[in-house]
Amino acid sequence: MHPLTDFKLYETRRQFLARGTNVLGMAALATLLGRDASAEPEHPANAALRFAPKAKRVIYLHMVGGPSQMDLFDYKPEMGNWYDKDLPDSIRKGQRLTTMTSKQARFPIAPSKYQFAQYGKNGMWMNSELLPWFTKCVDDVAFIRSMHTEAINHEPAITMMQTGNQLAGRPCLGSWTSYGLGSANQDLPTFVVLVAEPSNREQIQAISGKLWSSGFLPGQHAGVAFRSKGDPILYINNPPGVPKDVRRNTLDGIKALNEQNAALVGDPEIHTRIAQYEMAFRMQASVPDLTDFSKEPASTFELYGPDAKKPGTFANSALLARRLAERGVRFVQIYHNNWDHHSNVAGRMPDQCRDIDQPCYGLLQDLKQRGLLDDTLVLWGGEFGRTIYSQGGLS
Amino acid sequence: MIRLSPLFAVALALPLAVRAADERVIFNRDVRPILGEYCFHCHGPDPGSRKEGIRFDRAEGFFAPRDKAEPTVVKGHPEKSLLYERVSSTDKDEIMPPPKEHKTMKPAEIAMLKKWIEQGAEWQPHWAFMAPEKPAVPAGAAHPVDAFVRERLAGAGLKPSPQAEKRTLARRVSLDITGLPPAPELVEEFVKDAAPDVYEKLVDKLLASPRYGEHRARFWLDAARYGDTHGLHIDNYREIWPYREWVINAFNRNEHFDQFTVEQIAGDLLPKPTQEQLIATGFHRCNITTAEGGTIPEENFANYAKDRVETTSWVWLGLTSNCAVCHDHKFDPITQKDFYAMTAFFRNTVQDHTDRNVRDTAPVLVLPQGEDAKRFEIIPAEVVTANAKLGERQKLLTGDFEKWQAVAKADAIETATQTKTLVALLPLNEGTGTTTKGLVGGKAQTFPLPQNLVWKPDGKSGAAAQVADGASIDFGGLGDFEKDQAFTATAWFFRPAASNSPGAILARMDKADSFRGWDIFYTGNEIAVHVVSKWQGDALKVSTTDEAGKPDQWRHVAVAYDGSGKAKGVQIYVNGRLRKTKIEVDKLSGSIRTKAPFMVGRRAGGGEVFTGAVQDVRLYASALSAKQVLAIAELPDLRVILAKPVAQRAPEERQRLLTFFSTGDPQSSEFQAKVAALETEKTEIQKRSPVTHVQMEKAGAQPMARLLNRGQYDQPKDELKPAVIAALHPMPAGAPANRLGLAQWIVAKENPLTARVTVNRFWQEIFGTGLVKSAEDFGIMSDAPSHPALLDWLAVDFRDHGWDVKRLIRLLVTSETYKQSAVVTKQQLERDPDNRLLSRGPRYRMDAEMVRDYALATSGLLVGKIGGPSVRPYQPDGVWEAVAMPGSDTGKYKRDTGEALYRRSLYTFWKRSAPPASLELFNAPSRESCTVRRERTNTPLQALVTLNDPQYVEAARNLAQLALKAAPNDAKATLAFMARRVLCRPLRPAEIPILETSSTTLLAHYTAAPDEVAALLTFGESKADPAIPPPQLAAWTMVATQLLNLDEALNK
Repeated sequence: MHPLTDFKLYETRRQFLARGTNVLGMAALATLLGRDASAEPEHPANAALRFAPKAKRVIYLHMVGGPSQMDLFDYKPEMGNWYDKDLPDSIRKGQRLTTMTSKQARFPIAPSKYQFAQYGKNGMWMNSELLPWFTKCVDDVAFIRSMHTEAINHEPAITMMQTGNQLAGRPCLGSWTSYGLGSANQDLPTFVVLVAEPSNREQIQAISGKLWSSGFLPGQHAGVAFRSKGDPILYINNPPGVPKDVRRNTLDGIKALNEQNAALVGDPEIHTRIAQYEMAFRMQASVPDLTDFSKEPASTFELYGPDAKKPGTFANSALLARRLAERGVRFVQIYHNNWDHHSNVAGRMPDQCRDIDQPCYGLLQDLKQRGLLDDTLVLWGGEFGRTIYSQGGLS
Repeated sequence: MIRLSPLFAVALALPLAVRAADERVIFNRDVRPILGEYCFHCHGPDPGSRKEGIRFDRAEGFFAPRDKAEPTVVKGHPEKSLLYERVSSTDKDEIMPPPKEHKTMKPAEIAMLKKWIEQGAEWQPHWAFMAPEKPAVPAGAAHPVDAFVRERLAGAGLKPSPQAEKRTLARRVSLDITGLPPAPELVEEFVKDAAPDVYEKLVDKLLASPRYGEHRARFWLDAARYGDTHGLHIDNYREIWPYREWVINAFNRNEHFDQFTVEQIAGDLLPKPTQEQLIATGFHRCNITTAEGGTIPEENFANYAKDRVETTSWVWLGLTSNCAVCHDHKFDPITQKDFYAMTAFFRNTVQDHTDRNVRDTAPVLVLPQGEDAKRFEIIPAEVVTANAKLGERQKLLTGDFEKWQAVAKADAIETATQTKTLVALLPLNEGTGTTTKGLVGGKAQTFPLPQNLVWKPDGKSGAAAQVADGASIDFGGLGDFEKDQAFTATAWFFRPAASNSPGAILARMDKADSFRGWDIFYTGNEIAVHVVSKWQGDALKVSTTDEAGKPDQWRHVAVAYDGSGKAKGVQIYVNGRLRKTKIEVDKLSGSIRTKAPFMVGRRAGGGEVFTGAVQDVRLYASALSAKQVLAIAELPDLRVILAKPVAQRAPEERQRLLTFFSTGDPQSSEFQAKVAALETEKTEIQKRSPVTHVQMEKAGAQPMARLLNRGQYDQPKDELKPAVIAALHPMPAGAPANRLGLAQWIVAKENPLTARVTVNRFWQEIFGTGLVKSAEDFGIMSDAPSHPALLDWLAVDFRDHGWDVKRLIRLLVTSETYKQSAVVTKQQLERDPDNRLLSRGPRYRMDAEMVRDYALATSGLLVGKIGGPSVRPYQPDGVWEAVAMPGSDTGKYKRDTGEALYRRSLYTFWKRSAPPASLELFNAPSRESCTVRRERTNTPLQALVTLNDPQYVEAARNLAQLALKAAPNDAKATLAFMARRVLCRPLRPAEIPILETSSTTLLAHYTAAPDEVAALLTFGESKADPAIPPPQLAAWTMVATQLLNLDEALNK
């Protein structure tokens, strides 16, 4: 571990130890406020920024598999004239080919088959067939068409998009955010990951826990994956036959004994452990409330669409992301799989888009109506896009 | 290599200003850290980022005259030294480091550089690159470890802590040597024994336990990045657990560390390697691999070699060679060329770029067990013997063959095929007309042909009848066989490639009567035989699995049925050769006789039609031998060959005759069958035996690699021969330029790193933090050793005593330093907050596996079996499923039952894209890459595991059960029993009321809540003892949970 991070850990621990019992949240809050204050423009690192940073939290929607940019947002009308013509060498410039296309004799240009139209006050060109809801909120969105990657395979490309490097081992964006901004709540993790189930599963790509690992940062900055089946957080529920009052009773005994031991042994880590057991208890109380959508009004489900009631769907995850953001979770990462369209593009694109269209719109509107969009950065993207040439013959 | 005395002290906690003004400046202690922080990035070993050609990583960078200028350091004269001039400048354009680097040197640091130059600027190479020399042990303590530690403590104004209580000590040393708590009896025995060497006796007893090897292996498996899956993409199962077993056994038999090293890096290159030495090479087959479709072979090869060099560097050399993948190392003397020359050691492998998603990616070793092992060893010799006998027999036959071929006549062969059992012969070669003639029971008979039948002029002999839709041929009552009658049906057929519908070539079958009868059915270039009483509950079906000839050619088919009523009694021949078949239906009991006619081209009663030509249909009322079938199939060609004089027969024609002649020879058949049976036996043994991944060199190839520009696999530059890091010692004389040479270099006496890095890692296992905290990095940017002289003393002592690991562990745990109490005083917290000065005994949260094993052991659930395949204990649903790709064979977690739930955690199945959930929360690594130092966090998620995970709740219940059985109806005794198992000590008076209150409250609660009791007591697979009143067991389960969750129980 880096001495600096050591030092910081130690500092944090000292801070809350200095304040006595039930202080983890206070300490974290203090850390957060301190860090937030340091994000003001007078900080030397920010001196060159033209705008004061205002985002306090991030919701990152990662479309796993590489959604086709030219079928959705990147209107290229000229390509219609190039149909089935060979990709000029001046474009490819010897770029590496995957083993899937490296044996092809030619690379015919396959323009988008979809209709495009202009939307919003800014006249943004967009696919006019697949994302009807999304077209209504283009004025809330900045489109970046200059993204670039060096990776051509999914696994390394996702790792690259999340961590900045193709090889695993570095912290992901969520971990950096947790590390840099600290926690803003007392009873939930700082960085939460939701893996949404696509309705179509023809071409699922590999994703794994390393994508939300903290790399070389301390482990506390790793993402906590909420699950759509079983307990939302691993082991969050008491065992069968252990109601809340029995658990409280158990914890009281543990705490009393640990405190005796702390007095005898003097190891400050014992107090940390006492605090963490209490934090665990609070998480147990807050997570059921977080994941209980029954008190959401009907209008919420009208906004996100009926799928929002189905656990594990993208719509459900988007709504949960809003609830997490409301509760002070800094970084919510949603993965939505099955965007790897080697074949059956026409068949699968509508399914994929239907999964995310209304929920994305709903999420933005919902954040806006709650005043959260002002300081929440919502990202939408994949690990890469698609080539203009076709794999295999044109279909 | 410059040798300087490595004796220097590194002050850890003391800030620069505290030192006496006249103290001698020591370069490595005082100056190098300043240069590392501020200067090396632009003035270090990497020429790519070096500015102005100035470098401070070598002596000449300070003292060599520069082009028309003074050296950067003029000894004794800071005012003439460029180094001092620039760091002390106030001019924005002059000052170093430049303001844009955002690094400002502190006044005390600038003063230190000045003082160093004033004192004569004595330079030292980085300490870790100088060979360690055994320093004199300071006076004042009997044990060398204590002597060094106390000297340092005294310097910080601290005293050692008193010895820990005996029970605490027994628990600590048991956990450190075996990874498990001591049995309560062992603790009592130890406490009672007053002999002066009682502690040493306990240590020796623990070192002799097989649990020792498991515990040491557990650490090593992190370094080896051991896992049970390939790690990338589909992440399928990889079988390599025999390697894990090898590691356990190697530690248990105290294999010395140099041998341990050589066998893992290059066991396969040792002279006549043993099976164990081959298994050891699994170390470098543990790296992650892929079979993803889009990956490029050269890229994968580059990644695998890179991982192996990096891992070797971290584990043995304590060097971050990974920094030299894209450019020369910024701080340490490792060039990019060094890095890629090292990859050459690992690139000369027969391993392919893809793991193919199989459990046994070559090269692997098959490890047959028990009887299989003996057979597996013998089979190859038996195959050789059988083949030799076959050869001899065929040689003998050759003499007879010459006589035979001189006189053989086709007509005689033809006559011989017309045995007494030939019931029908239908040549179908008229070439014209509306009828066809055949022999039925030896008598000529005429059959009508369909009106629209067409003749194919080029038949196998004469024109051939072409059957098609509406042109199948009806032969009336022929082929009326019963299921217990042997029969054979044969025909020549020609199937045009253009037609693709399936259909019966020959059939006596009634589709309308549940397909009763028999047929030879052609489908998708397979030949299937149906023998049916009632499809498909009362029938046989057999079809070919290997090549059954090609369309657009004449083929001969023969089906022989032995009347047994069993599918294995059906044999299918194509072109005279017996074909491999699969049995699809095998349950015939009723009669197969039908009134439907025998037909060529389809079954009676409709159904699929065979399109193609058919000739020479024969029905026999016996199962023909292979020789007889071959005679029929070969006859048309033999006729042509035999018509030529012997001398004019071509070699291949002669061979054709020889094969025909020797077929059917009973002795040859016997030997052929023997060989086939042996091959099958071998395959079967292979299928059911464990395999393990090993390393193997490409035969006859010289190891080489290319430098990859910027680390890019597709930018290969200069070709490199295998070589070690040039700045370190050379390869030993006579060492081969391959992995074996590399291994010999690693354990060479001259290697300044291996012994230090290794003792440091063992120190870390025992004391929690290494003497060098960055256990993976001993380079210039590493953490300075807390006790440099002690580290060197241990390294040299370890090496000079034959790299004896048990001896080293014994040495560490018998020191007074280790035996100190872990109680922390305020003074210690201030002056030695992290216990780096070792002012007290080691106390920290146990590693993931130890936490779980502890619960299993204290509750009596632990199953002590050593080794074997990985197990799948309790894990919440969906952990694998959430990340798994469809089609992965580790996509669904199917938990084991019975004793597999209670094995030590090092046997838990490690899926690398979803590591064991409860272990991961306690900082167990994913094993995707080498880990020599785990994190140790303290999080709420960990509390949830030990409170709620069924394996912990079940352990608590079993602990309560043990206690209630041993001490029933006596709360104090029950508590004392549990405390002895969990805390290894009696409860303190102040603790008892807390636990008693818990148990009383809980008992009252559970007595009133039978549903909760039932739910709690059935959580986990083991059954609760019915003799214990359930509410009592439930209440005490929660008391046991309290004990198991105490900080004291989670800490060592």
